[in-house]
Amino acid sequence: MNQDEPVIVLQDLTKIYGEFVALDHLSFTVRRGQILGFIGHNGAGKTTAIKIMVGLSKPTSGTVSIAGIDCVKDSHKIKRAVGFMPDTFGIYDNMRVREYLDFFGAAFSIEVKKRKKRIEEVMETAGVTYMQDKYVESLSHGMKQRVAIARTLLHDPSVLILDEPANGLDPKARIEMREIILRLAEMGKTIIVTSHILPELSRICNQVAILHRGQLKAFGPLNKIMKHLTQLRTVEVQLASAKQLKAAALIIKNMRMNKGNINVAPKELMIRFKTEKNDQELSLVLGKLIHEGIHVSQFRELQADLEAAFMSVVKGPKKDKAVSEVGE
Amino acid sequence: MIPILRRELIEQLRTNKAVLLQILISMIFAILIIARWPTDSQSDLSGLASRQVLRLFGYGLLTVIALLVPSFPATTIIREKIKGTLALLFNSPIRPTGIYAGKFFGVFLIVLILLSTSLPAAGACFAMGGISLTGEIIPLYLILITASIQFIILGLVVSTYANSTDSALRMTYGLVLLITILVLGPYQLFQSESGTLKDISGWLRCVSPIPATMEVLGQKDIGLSGFTLSYSAINRYFILTGISCMVMVYLTLSRLNYRIFDRSRSAGVITDDRTKGAKRFRFIFYLIDPQKRSKGIGNWTNPIMIKEFRCRRFGRSHWLLRLVALCIIISILLTYSATTGSISWGVEAIGGLMVLLQVSLLVLITPSLSAGLISSEIESNGWQLLQTTPLSALKILRGKLMSVAWTLSMILCATLPGYLIILYLKPEMQPQIVNVLICLVIAAIFAILVSAFISSLFSQTAAATTTAYIVLLSLFGGTMLFWLGRGAPFGHEIVENILLFNPMAAALHASGTSGFEEYQLIPGNWYIMGLVCSALFLGLVYRTWKLSRPR
Repeated sequence: MNQDEPVIVLQDLTKIYGEFVALDHLSFTVRRGQILGFIGHNGAGKTTAIKIMVGLSKPTSGTVSIAGIDCVKDSHKIKRAVGFMPDTFGIYDNMRVREYLDFFGAAFSIEVKKRKKRIEEVMETAGVTYMQDKYVESLSHGMKQRVAIARTLLHDPSVLILDEPANGLDPKARIEMREIILRLAEMGKTIIVTSHILPELSRICNQVAILHRGQLKAFGPLNKIMKHLTQLRTVEVQLASAKQLKAAALIIKNMRMNKGNINVAPKELMIRFKTEKNDQELSLVLGKLIHEGIHVSQFRELQADLEAAFMSVVKGPKKDKAVSEVGE
Repeated sequence: MIPILRRELIEQLRTNKAVLLQILISMIFAILIIARWPTDSQSDLSGLASRQVLRLFGYGLLTVIALLVPSFPATTIIREKIKGTLALLFNSPIRPTGIYAGKFFGVFLIVLILLSTSLPAAGACFAMGGISLTGEIIPLYLILITASIQFIILGLVVSTYANSTDSALRMTYGLVLLITILVLGPYQLFQSESGTLKDISGWLRCVSPIPATMEVLGQKDIGLSGFTLSYSAINRYFILTGISCMVMVYLTLSRLNYRIFDRSRSAGVITDDRTKGAKRFRFIFYLIDPQKRSKGIGNWTNPIMIKEFRCRRFGRSHWLLRLVALCIIISILLTYSATTGSISWGVEAIGGLMVLLQVSLLVLITPSLSAGLISSEIESNGWQLLQTTPLSALKILRGKLMSVAWTLSMILCATLPGYLIILYLKPEMQPQIVNVLICLVIAAIFAILVSAFISSLFSQTAAATTTAYIVLLSLFGGTMLFWLGRGAPFGHEIVENILLFNPMAAALHASGTSGFEEYQLIPGNWYIMGLVCSALFLGLVYRTWKLSRPR
């Protein structure tokens, strides 16, 4: 398969429950090997879209295809092409990890000998080999998530859809989960990940789709999205002495550099402000401060993060255009 | 205590279930009284008619209590534990005794409300004449209230030890069956003996509220093969219930602390990692070693069936072997002790007893296996995972049904040696035994299908299990109330028509058990059950198909 060939294609996907529009003409394309971060607040429509993609739900209108298979018309075929990890684990009591994986392997009709080998492989990939004899119900949340990843990989799907894989994990488990996902992408899997932990997503995703009230508000590469959506820059100025804070803040204000309040944090010896100005204009501020004898120890722009981008999409109606601006 | 009591009581009373129950109970007993209300101008001074109604009324109320009461307390603590609200209660200033009292009175007051709905019917019974208020009605209610307390306390103790709501329900209903019905068994065998065994079994039977109720209703010596009782079952019942309740309250209170959340489960040492000698020793000792790594599910085996076996606490092969061995031993012991006892029961009576044993096993085990087949998958989100696999709805259903059918057939087969002994004693009974076995197979199929169908209607296993138990107990036990009221108030035709729906009655008829010979139940029962089972199967297939479709 060609690297640029689209693997997941959504076209005008709409889902309506009664009068509630859960998905409103959702359209995007994900190419092979990409990791798409699917972002949206609770009830935004992420899980609805995912359920349609894995054949658990039917759209009201529109089409979805994964690896050339129509998710609606061929919902039974799609199950072999997609590995789905829902946000809940699906515990079976009294089963050991190996038995649990063996059951799902058998459910995918993997032949016994091949299945045994495959279980070893996926346990290795997900890092669960050491817990193969443990009872599933006695595992910690992080362990269960890893077992769920192993289960998802059993039938070697080309596309993985992971719903909140990092939810409820401690920092160490989160880092491990991130490494597993990146490893899977290296293996050539196309991955869709949803998460509420946006900094986490920003570290692994090369594409982002922001969903708000069933509508796609932004779609595209992460850096482009952030550039388009976070139009105000945040600048931090750190001084050597607290005595000069007031004077420095006054200079910034007089130069009308700030958009909104100027935040002065005496304990940190820091001044923060948001601005629309470009680099050239900002350099004038630094020059002025130094000229006025202010001892500046740091002058930097804070990198806009995914959280800020998401919030600007959710809050600002004018960002609706972002899809056409950034999308492919 | 008050906040918990208020919450428990109001939460329950607000449900449609509570309103429905109150209306249903009132209606059932009102119909009973209306049916037997005297229509002629002469009054029955002997009180025969009113006593007949009171008996049905008393046994009916006891059945209602045994069926309904355990479901409330059995889930109350475990549900809070699963939801996480129990930890919040432990963090509040309310002491464990306060939590316990709140939970207990929350259920007890509901039971009192339900019992009070039967008071107008009891009043009407008294108004019919011939019944004593202090000698019959008040003692009957005292026994019913004591039985309710017994079941509530039992449910609460199980609820603190269980790990899921459905296992709590299964265990509670199993124990209710044990303390109401099964404890009566030993005395039936040892009543003709003298000495300790008779004394112990005599006390044991009084754990059940049935002998005390029978005594109040003037039937204390019925079913005792001509022997009369020299003791008061009522007094013994109150004493035994008091002691057992105190023990159970202590056990519950000792669990009502943070230890209740401990659920460590060691994986143990896997036999595959042991030495050769240890492996051999364990093979001889276990036959099927529970600590051995399982082989993969075969290419041609239904994975769902294997999964079902593996997921059950006692579903693994080593446990099934033990269960089958126990059933064989009980079956042979029952037949042996009955045939070698000093009283000559006759093979028909022994056959009847075996039918009762087998149907009790069916009613006890089937809902626990079958009522969670689909609902537990939905509840644990396993259904969604199954939907993401290529398994078809029919394959899922087949695997699930087969897992229950195999278990039940193994248990039923294990109880067959008793029939072989009967056949040896009286070879001419062969056609009857074949009929009995057909009835039992039908009863098993019906029990599986009805529980599985109920399971497909609910998204919570606890609700499905309770409903399945109530439906099965009402059918197998409830219809027998009409048989108890044969002659009066129910005529031969009504009783026969009702019993046609009960495969256990058909089996008892086939085995020639006394009291069932006069009803013509075979093959009518087979046809009816065949139709009902077909409808249930079709309904089940439809529900499973619908649940597995994209929505």
